[in-house]
Amino acid sequence: MTATLSQKGPRRRYGEVNLGLALVIPVIVIMGGLVVFPLLSTIVDSFYRINLMRPGTPFTGLGNYADLLQDTSVRRSWVNTFYYVMMAVVLETLGGLAAALLLNKIKYGRRWLLAAVVLPWCLPPVVNAVVWLWIYNPSYGLLNGILQAAGLTSAPVVFFNDPKLALFLVTIVHVWRMMPLTAIILLAALQSIPEDLYQAAKLDGAGAFKSFRLITLPLIASGLAIALSQSTVFAFNLFDEAWILSGSSLDTRTVMIQVYMFAFQNMKFSLGMALSLMAMLASLLVSLVYVLKVYRETRFD
Amino acid sequence: MMKKHLNMTIATVLLLQVGTAGLALAEDAKPLAGQHLSVLLPPWGTLPKEMTDGFTAKTGIILDTQTLGWDDIHTKIVTSTVANTAPGDATEVDWSWVGQFGASKWYQPLDGLVTADAVADAPTAKIFTYDGKLLAVPYNNDFRVLIYNKTQLEKAGIKTPPKTPDELLKAAKAIKEAKIATYPIGLPLSATEGTSTTWYLLTKAFGGDLFDKDFKPMFVDPQSGGYKALSFEIQALKDGLIDPAMTGLKDVEVQELFKSGKISFDVAGWAGNLAVYADASKSQVANDVAAALMPSTTGSTRTIGLPEAIGIPAASANSKAAAAFINWMLEPETEIGSFNALGNLPPRLSVLKQLNAKGGLKDGDVLLAQAAAVEPLFAQGTPGWYPEFSAAVASAINQAAKGQLTVDQAVQQVAEAAKTASQE
Amino acid sequence: MSSRSLKFISGKLGIVLAVVVLLVWSLGPIYWSVVTSLTSPTDLVSATPHFWPTHVTLEHYARLFGSTSMSQGNEVQSVWPQFSAALLNSLITSVVATVLTVVIAAFSAYAFVRLRFPGRDMIFVLVVATLAIPAYTVMIPLYRLMISLKLVDTYLGVSLIYVSAFLPLALWLMRSVYQAMPLSLEEAAWLDGASKVYTLVRIVMPLAAPGLIAAAIITFLNAWGQFLVPLVFSPTLATKPLTVLIPEFVGRNYVDYGLINAAGIVAIIPPVLVVLFLNRFLVSGLMAGATK
Repeated sequence: MTATLSQKGPRRRYGEVNLGLALVIPVIVIMGGLVVFPLLSTIVDSFYRINLMRPGTPFTGLGNYADLLQDTSVRRSWVNTFYYVMMAVVLETLGGLAAALLLNKIKYGRRWLLAAVVLPWCLPPVVNAVVWLWIYNPSYGLLNGILQAAGLTSAPVVFFNDPKLALFLVTIVHVWRMMPLTAIILLAALQSIPEDLYQAAKLDGAGAFKSFRLITLPLIASGLAIALSQSTVFAFNLFDEAWILSGSSLDTRTVMIQVYMFAFQNMKFSLGMALSLMAMLASLLVSLVYVLKVYRETRFD
Repeated sequence: MMKKHLNMTIATVLLLQVGTAGLALAEDAKPLAGQHLSVLLPPWGTLPKEMTDGFTAKTGIILDTQTLGWDDIHTKIVTSTVANTAPGDATEVDWSWVGQFGASKWYQPLDGLVTADAVADAPTAKIFTYDGKLLAVPYNNDFRVLIYNKTQLEKAGIKTPPKTPDELLKAAKAIKEAKIATYPIGLPLSATEGTSTTWYLLTKAFGGDLFDKDFKPMFVDPQSGGYKALSFEIQALKDGLIDPAMTGLKDVEVQELFKSGKISFDVAGWAGNLAVYADASKSQVANDVAAALMPSTTGSTRTIGLPEAIGIPAASANSKAAAAFINWMLEPETEIGSFNALGNLPPRLSVLKQLNAKGGLKDGDVLLAQAAAVEPLFAQGTPGWYPEFSAAVASAINQAAKGQLTVDQAVQQVAEAAKTASQE
Repeated sequence: MSSRSLKFISGKLGIVLAVVVLLVWSLGPIYWSVVTSLTSPTDLVSATPHFWPTHVTLEHYARLFGSTSMSQGNEVQSVWPQFSAALLNSLITSVVATVLTVVIAAFSAYAFVRLRFPGRDMIFVLVVATLAIPAYTVMIPLYRLMISLKLVDTYLGVSLIYVSAFLPLALWLMRSVYQAMPLSLEEAAWLDGASKVYTLVRIVMPLAAPGLIAAAIITFLNAWGQFLVPLVFSPTLATKPLTVLIPEFVGRNYVDYGLINAAGIVAIIPPVLVVLFLNRFLVSGLMAGATK
């Protein structure tokens, strides 16, 4: 690719720079104005004490960050969030890959199956959480109904009284909603693999597993990186599901709920801003791991 | 230039006329006609269009009503005010936000803007004063009262409703033993606001208070009302008188349980809810429900008022029109209409009495007696750190109910949270 | 022979089984939501859960679509005027955001892959990195900005915020799609004297159709489900979407499970139509790419 481009004359390259910049300017304007600029303003604010209950906004340097590191509720919300991220990324990737492979294999009615797979994601998040609240309801819920009908439990279980189970059930709701996104990204990646590659592999005597490992996996690697990063980012931002299912309970509280409580309930803006910046850094770092791995792999082919 | 002069002249003439003809004419002339007024209220504060059309006909002010969920209104008020704009010309002000909005000076003092007689007639209005200034005027009268299922109590052989917490426990045990209800006592134990307010109410029932006048916690001592109230909740849970599922239920869900007849006592019942419980299209216990004064260990009933009000943000561009709207909300006809349409109990005592005299109130005598005993939760005014404190209370009670904390640890944790919240 | 056909049959059976599992996982909770929306309020909290509605009632849907309805025992105006306005708002903001995002991503992603200009990789990495910014982080400065631009409570304002939120993902997806495409076709067109833009629009984009459509589906659905952004930036019914309207059905004195579920079921119809409609292009776009 580099070789072909460098063969062009200088005039051509000058036009190329102009065209390239022209195509990218809308991106720079929108992202710079609506995301980067507000972000910088937030970063600056996070070094001050902005608490509407107290007069003045003195400069505190890293004071907000130091306070956050000592707060036990914040620490608990980090532990919960890392659990959500790990579980959600693993479940969404495995489930989404399985769904995408299945959708790619099916010839008849793929449209309808894809529409069905996407449905959970179409439900407004509030309705989604209310539906699951109703399913988990200890008195009238579907889950207890099924467990009892199957003879697995004799009395209704109050699921959210067990902190570990509560975390897991919140994860399930999140995974149920976000898995379609992973499935669509991976399906698009799968569909871009030419069929003849598999034919050739078959002729060489490769089995299904071998051709998956040697053809499918490397060719969907960049799609996989996108899918992994977005599930990481969305899991770091988990809010609605935990908030509606169990409010501010420490058992399920996420970093974003803690941010909301700081900034919008307790009016300690700079604390909320600092914590949300830390969450951003954490999800960037985790995503970076996948992306770098993929970059290394794609550079060699 | 000419035109401007002419306008000025007309305005001066009009002003003179108003001055001579007095106030009545000014109202007839609808001085605020044509102004747009945006009002931000939750669904239960949003009056039907027929009623607000009456306001527009009377004043000529064009209403732009925005309806949002309660949590969301707070988020919206915070975001817009920080960005130096008004979330609306008149908005919801919950009793729990008074400290925050007072300290940050986000809302205009209403003294002088609203009808003083009407405010004096509404005892809960004092909950909305901060530093001696009135920040908002209540539009409903949400105080707590004991709501119970009379039929279930009678089946268990109990003739009169409990007057003390002990009697409440005894009655619940009798109902459980007679297998009338599996878990007779209903109160929320989830990590939500309804859990905290129930504990505050029970603290008063046990003769206690949350804080002294310097905001020192008064619930840590095992002999205190707050400590006893939490022990009462946890013990009733352990004895199987409260459904273990309450750790996941909000107040509104507890109310659904009461409506279905699964619980016999809605301990922290909302007075305004009585009408909903007695409505056969909404509730399966419409013929069985009754209200009683809050039980108490001291012999005299105590309760808290947690009303909601409407105030004018400092950044509002139309504060005169907003004040006109608030005055209209305070009128007896509006309050009665609001009760009929949305179940909001009138905040004005005279209107409440008027309603009861017409037989419009279910168990009206009990409600009136309880209304007379309404206290604000914080005698010295709701502090700005209330939301943070309250979230910590809900969290601690929720943990105690799940067996993760003892009562002692829970009250210690709450006291600690009160300390950090008020210090920062 | 027989072992091969046995393998064939068991393979088929495996696929059928997998489809059934996938359907139950995806549709089970939706089915439960439909059942709830068809159950009368008193039945909802009376008996033990039944897996299908015993007495089907359309009262919740009647409250959405009818001219009048009952609320707290009083006859009140139906929620249809608000509901239909919010439905329209959801559609407009999501469609505008999707079109803008996909068009911008289709052109600029190409620039990030095939054109060389200063700062190319750095800009791309920075833009994609903004994916990790939580909405709460930028909320307040962004609100100040939108007020000064007079874009609060306008379709354009909300759509632009959606574009800024979903462009990174679409851009990244399109970049990986373009990267996977062979350069030979484009080079042939360039040698024929076709301009870069002409080549992109007439040759590259049709081949990239599945990717473009996947980006469109993802953007549309992400925009459709937004809550926090419109909560703050769409305060009135002029632009308020369904996701913000529906929670208002949670009254203070009652939780209207039936109405919330009915509204949710109606709310998933437009996006499902979009998926069914676009998915056809997803497949046909691939076919076109394969035959050319």
